[in-house]
Amino acid sequence: MRVLVVEDEVRLADNLAAALREGPGFAVDCAEDGEVGEQLARQGCYDLIILDLMLPKVDGLTVLRHMRSRDNSTPVLILTAKDGTASTIELLNAGADDYLSKPFDLGELIARAKALIRRGKGASHPVFAIADIEVNTLEQTVRRAGRVIDLSPTEYRILEYMVHRPRVIVSKRELLEHLYDYNWEHHSNVIEAHISNLRKKLMADSDQQPVETLRGRGYRLVADLEGAG
Amino acid sequence: MKRHSLSRRLISSVLLIELIFAVAVIALAAAYERHAQLRSFDIMLEGRADSLLGAVQDAEDPADNVMLDRTGLQLPAEDVYEVRDSGGRLLGGSANWQGPDPGETDSTGDHIYWTRINGRHYRVLTLHGLRVVDPDDKGGGKPRHVLVVYGAPTAQVWHQIRNAIVFFSLSNFVLLLVTGVLMAWLLHRGLAPMRELATEAERISIHRWSFQPPDSAVETRELAPLASALSAAMQRLETSFSQQRRFVSDAAHELKTAVAVVKSSLQLLAMRQRTTEEYAAGIEVSLVDCERMEEIVARMLTLARAEHLTTGQQSAGPSDLAAAAASIAQQFDSMAELRWVTLKFTADGPALVPLSGEECALLCSNLLLNALQHSPPRTEVKMSVQTELNSVELRIEDHGDGVDPALLPHVFERFSRGDPSRSRNTGGTGLGLAICKAIVDKAGGAIVLESVPGHGAAAIVRLPVANSAAGTESIESSLQTTPSA
Repeated sequence: MRVLVVEDEVRLADNLAAALREGPGFAVDCAEDGEVGEQLARQGCYDLIILDLMLPKVDGLTVLRHMRSRDNSTPVLILTAKDGTASTIELLNAGADDYLSKPFDLGELIARAKALIRRGKGASHPVFAIADIEVNTLEQTVRRAGRVIDLSPTEYRILEYMVHRPRVIVSKRELLEHLYDYNWEHHSNVIEAHISNLRKKLMADSDQQPVETLRGRGYRLVADLEGAG
Repeated sequence: MKRHSLSRRLISSVLLIELIFAVAVIALAAAYERHAQLRSFDIMLEGRADSLLGAVQDAEDPADNVMLDRTGLQLPAEDVYEVRDSGGRLLGGSANWQGPDPGETDSTGDHIYWTRINGRHYRVLTLHGLRVVDPDDKGGGKPRHVLVVYGAPTAQVWHQIRNAIVFFSLSNFVLLLVTGVLMAWLLHRGLAPMRELATEAERISIHRWSFQPPDSAVETRELAPLASALSAAMQRLETSFSQQRRFVSDAAHELKTAVAVVKSSLQLLAMRQRTTEEYAAGIEVSLVDCERMEEIVARMLTLARAEHLTTGQQSAGPSDLAAAAASIAQQFDSMAELRWVTLKFTADGPALVPLSGEECALLCSNLLLNALQHSPPRTEVKMSVQTELNSVELRIEDHGDGVDPALLPHVFERFSRGDPSRSRNTGGTGLGLAICKAIVDKAGGAIVLESVPGHGAAAIVRLPVANSAAGTESIESSLQTTPSA
């Protein structure tokens, strides 16, 4: 999952990015002002945007309104140092999905970020069960038929992204966009290598491959395996 | 404290005056009534005495005497009388009287006197009359001198006078009553604008500062000054209050963000088990974050103090701005060197300004720090103090990027977003220039920031020379123009 943090207080943005990378293993980009934030958000490759309200150049509320007016439906979590009912109502009406008052708890921020990403993809439970595969996004563990499968962080992130979009063809480009931030040198063959490893690990004890490869188009998580369950 | 009512005071004053007049009127009326009543009483006495005189007849005896013929006389039973001839012989008298007091009849002239007869007050007339008895056709007849003494009880007169007094008293009392009620009603109506003003003033609260004086008060000549004074005072209070509220809100925002940084740094450190080096680095970062927070708090307090002093009365100082600037320039020399910036300071002699030494230092250090923070390496920062006729100019120039013209009007605001140091994270708090402005305002001077984007900025402070109030106004007006890029 890839998150955009728009926050002018650089130290806070750094801490947020570090926590989101270390905790749920998200890819994180940071923007220091509203203008850059809006440009980045326009690319549409984010699964969540964390937006500060008081920003140089363009303030957070304006960024949010512009985004929503362009039909960008990426979940937005607002960070605000002002609390008051009026501004809360204004924020939610402008299209914010959630908000946190500063100073916030990092653990709470991560939990809310995960919940927003989940809901943004149409899921409500943090534990996904596709056929006999169970992905627990809280513990970041994967089981197949009850047996724990040990995945590398990148393999896990690929699978996590795919369980959020079952039965949909996910292209290599989409995976690259949503799993890596701008700090990474990325090439599509990186994805291929990780997918290959993931497929091997999932097939260790089973005879049916849940990750389907569609040549030239991408990958798909098959939801209904024959004889599964 | 005892409260008193204006209306009640007015009404009682008017009623008191009216009462005094009423008493005077009653006294005058009583005196006049007494005079008039006694006059008519006396005329009545004379009339009755005359009728007695007419009743004196020839006695038809050889001695040629006269007698009192009482037939046909109709006199009130309580009246007393006595008739004597010139010889002092009693011709007749009322049965209920022993006769006039001796001495009262001695004088030859007519006169009236008071007396008591049988325990009642009487007014008695003594009349020396001339009666011509038996006038016959020949025109003869004998003139006879007769003394008639006639008295009548005065109870009736006094009764009349008392009635008149009672009538005047009653009518005056009714008049007082009507005046009181009427005045109370009129005052109640007349003071309505005052009550409306009070009602409107009562609605002022911490949450509602606006004061709209009611039309009735504005249109009342006596109340208009009060209404406009109240509304002006409220406006000033509201401005100052909203400024304070904005400051608190801004300060809360800054502090919450600073706390968020510290908290997130520590929570990030605690997210998982780390190596000793990672912990050490994390603690160091947290300490830097804490210092930043300390700096914000310290500057906020400085600003609050500077602004508080702005409203104070006496000006501090005087102190030498040139000396303070020189000392600050020396202090910042090493910092400038570290940044590869040349720092030049010039002054044309001592410059006394109405500020304390601490304020001079604060002003110079804030402006110089700002200039240094925005100076790229291998540039120059110039600081100069120049004394003119009755003002002192402090000028600090840098050759950095300058200030965005759109942000220029806001640079002196608290926590100004226009201070680029904040987003560059050079340690600025967005309060430095606000503190400078508060100090300069306090001294009655002016401060402007001139900027050419891409070429640098210059902060110009103009302060009046200490102990010379003149020129303050001209400084403010001469610095009104801010040259654009």
